[in-house]
Amino acid sequence: MMHPLYPRRLIACTAGLVLTGATLLAAQSCVQPHCSSPSYAEAECRVIAENVHARLQSSAGAELRFQDPDVTTDDTWDARGLVEELDDGTIHARIAAPGRFALSLRAPEDATTDTALHVRLSNVDPAATVTLSGDDGETEIPGTDSTRRELDLVLAPGQVRWIRGDRACPSRYRLAVVGDIQTNPTQFERIADRLAEDARSSLAEGVPLVGLVIVGDLTEASRDDEFETIGEVLGRLPIPTALTPGNHDIYRPTRPHFNRKFGPGNHAANICGLRLALLDSGSGSVAPSVQARVPELIDRNGATFLVAGMHHPPYAGLTGAGWSREDDAAALLVELARERADLVVAGHSHALRDYEDIPVGDVTLREVIVGTGGAYQGIGIPRYGYMRFEFDDDAATTEQCFMEVPPVGYAEPPNEPASPRLPHCPEP
Amino acid sequence: MRTPRLRAALGSLVVGVLTVPASVSASEPAPRALTFHPSGTPTFAVGPSTAAASDDPATSASTPVTTEPQTASTPEPAPSFRSKSAERRTRWAACIEGVTPCTRARPARALLLSVGAVSGAIAAGLMFGLGDRLTQSDPAVLLAGLGGLAGVGAVTGALAGRVGLDGATLPDRLRPSTASLAYDYRGPLVLDESRPHTMSLRVAPNLFLPEDHGRLRLFGHVGGWLNPKREVDPRPQFTEVPPGQEGTAPSVQRQRNLSIGVGFDLAVNLPYPVLSRSARLGAAELRFRPEVQVRRERYDPGTADSVLVERTMLLPLTVGARWHLSPRQRFTAYFGPRFDYLAFSDPGSNALRRGGAQIGPLYAEAWYDIDVPLTPARRDGRTRSIIATGQLSLGYIHSRFDGQGFNLGPVIGFMGPLHVGWQTRLRPVGSPVAAQLGAFARLGSGATLGLELGIVAPDPTLRRRSSR
Repeated sequence: MMHPLYPRRLIACTAGLVLTGATLLAAQSCVQPHCSSPSYAEAECRVIAENVHARLQSSAGAELRFQDPDVTTDDTWDARGLVEELDDGTIHARIAAPGRFALSLRAPEDATTDTALHVRLSNVDPAATVTLSGDDGETEIPGTDSTRRELDLVLAPGQVRWIRGDRACPSRYRLAVVGDIQTNPTQFERIADRLAEDARSSLAEGVPLVGLVIVGDLTEASRDDEFETIGEVLGRLPIPTALTPGNHDIYRPTRPHFNRKFGPGNHAANICGLRLALLDSGSGSVAPSVQARVPELIDRNGATFLVAGMHHPPYAGLTGAGWSREDDAAALLVELARERADLVVAGHSHALRDYEDIPVGDVTLREVIVGTGGAYQGIGIPRYGYMRFEFDDDAATTEQCFMEVPPVGYAEPPNEPASPRLPHCPEP
Repeated sequence: MRTPRLRAALGSLVVGVLTVPASVSASEPAPRALTFHPSGTPTFAVGPSTAAASDDPATSASTPVTTEPQTASTPEPAPSFRSKSAERRTRWAACIEGVTPCTRARPARALLLSVGAVSGAIAAGLMFGLGDRLTQSDPAVLLAGLGGLAGVGAVTGALAGRVGLDGATLPDRLRPSTASLAYDYRGPLVLDESRPHTMSLRVAPNLFLPEDHGRLRLFGHVGGWLNPKREVDPRPQFTEVPPGQEGTAPSVQRQRNLSIGVGFDLAVNLPYPVLSRSARLGAAELRFRPEVQVRRERYDPGTADSVLVERTMLLPLTVGARWHLSPRQRFTAYFGPRFDYLAFSDPGSNALRRGGAQIGPLYAEAWYDIDVPLTPARRDGRTRSIIATGQLSLGYIHSRFDGQGFNLGPVIGFMGPLHVGWQTRLRPVGSPVAAQLGAFARLGSGATLGLELGIVAPDPTLRRRSSR
């Protein structure tokens, strides 16, 4: 059938093919370093942001850097916290995770007078021993009941001092895990209250609760006020937290909101006998540079247990809540299998799920999804609460239970345990 | 005549596109329409096409035709007892002109759009009503993806019909090339990184079943990245330029990829053998397409400790259906369970450590294809030496197996990639062999652009099927 558009179609098709080829050629000639025009919805840009915010040159000229606790020089730094200068000149250093930490402070070489700093540390384990050291000796910074410590210090021109922290651990200790708060910070406050009770009762039992891991989606819309709300709740907890963002925390591209409030999303720490590695999978995959660093992040470093946490579960089963890049998820599972990780914790699916035996080659991994931090769970009775894992370094065993924190209106947990392997925790 | 038509075209939104006949306006004379005499000789008719308004092609064939154009001075037609809206409804639901048996493309597309909308509503109900704690998420997202593609396809098909692309089946319509080479590239480039150029050899020979009851297609591919993907570490701690690089970010990982897939696709006409053909909304097919896909990736950190990872996706029970909404437009959907095998090597070794199967997420695909005839008849009446036909394909693949997922705002990690493709088949007149050229884009975790060059082997059954 004849149609007046026929010749135009043929021309348009040819032009389309030529344009495609030209685009491919043009793409070769416009190369820039990562994130020269950043979109913080991209994982690699957040890697840059979390490392930028792990050091600070203060208005007084002092250089503050979070460090690997094992290093003794401040030549470089590591994204293990967030350093910022507040309006009143106070230096705020938020430690990214429970366990050992180190912060170096160096005065400018060309300073003509001593540099005085008022430093506020946050997210510090109340049971930790924190010291200020330098060439003039070592002093202990007294602890409080909260996760904050404050100190005043003076740096001579060119002087380097260190703030270091660590805590003594019994062979048995506990770790809480939760994810997906999103639109329900009120319910999360109830969970936080239960965590505080649990921390006190666990300490009394001689099995301390050493930290809370939040596997992403602290907010619904990545807004600063939402992060502030969660930050205030976490600030009242008597235990330190380790956080990594979820897809709802990172999708505003103009600012790295999560990193500016809480610091890194990719970080690892040794907590008692446990190696905890958190990966920022908010974009549906980890940044390629982080993927290359996974062996370093999950290196046990002498720890008995290895736990990896992220928002998107690398094995999603039928939840539909997987990674955008399944190839990257498979590569991560392989690394975890090679290291024989004891546990993978994730969120994203607003549910409590336990995948006990995920075959990865000739190894099986265990993954628990704990998207029960308050986010909407649909009609039916929601299951809110947190997972509590108990590790025994001497016996090399792990036990777990789910602390259900029902919403207002329920006197008792309204749900039966999700599985025999996930019983309800006894009331604290 | 052009101005009101143009205005009407611009003023019509999606619903208008679906509800107004492509070339008929209630307030103006209709353009030429091709009808058929009982003898089979095509004739041009002018005026509101009785063929288009008829539900029965036999009626249209027996209707007298005229070549006299209607003008403003044409006497008003005799008063009709039917209202204008009734006429519009009748025209909207009319058979495609010149196509036997009758196929009502516009109602079919409206139905597909409705099905897409209902699917989206059900998916939204599952996800937001029941929530994703009861394992409904995967079927719900799958449904949302298929429904969305159905909707987009129906609207695109309506637009195509609007510009005159509805018509009889093309005698040499596109199918996948018997053998082809495909190339694609995924950008953008970053300083000191390299993105892979992918090349693959694809095969898809067809075996048509007797009596047009269906066909069996074997398909497979082997290919991979022509160059390794190289990644750098952009952390600001690195301030010196490593040897061989332009920027300060050191190279941290190289990755290579090998891709293999094989399967077959059996299509049988539906409701065969109950009925030979749907009487109103076009024919349909049932499909069964088991396949296996394997990807081997080598991760090389720049030392001797490279690791080999093999991912296998087994789709043994994928079933589907194809709906011929018009002779030139088709909607196809597949879905089925998925089983994954993940094997890996120790650092520096090539020996794979294999294990059992994981239950993977559900697998699904949806495609909307629109055939486009590209070869006009020569004005001098002579036969052209090459017949060209095109095909626009829109697709959604509910799988992120190849590392591509379509994300939108905070909706991250749920959807698979979107696919847009164009193919052109060039066949010298009388030649049993044809060439196919194509370009495609895949959107998900960035964009992939690709080209495909293929050859279509002789089809011994083509003449028999065309005559039928």
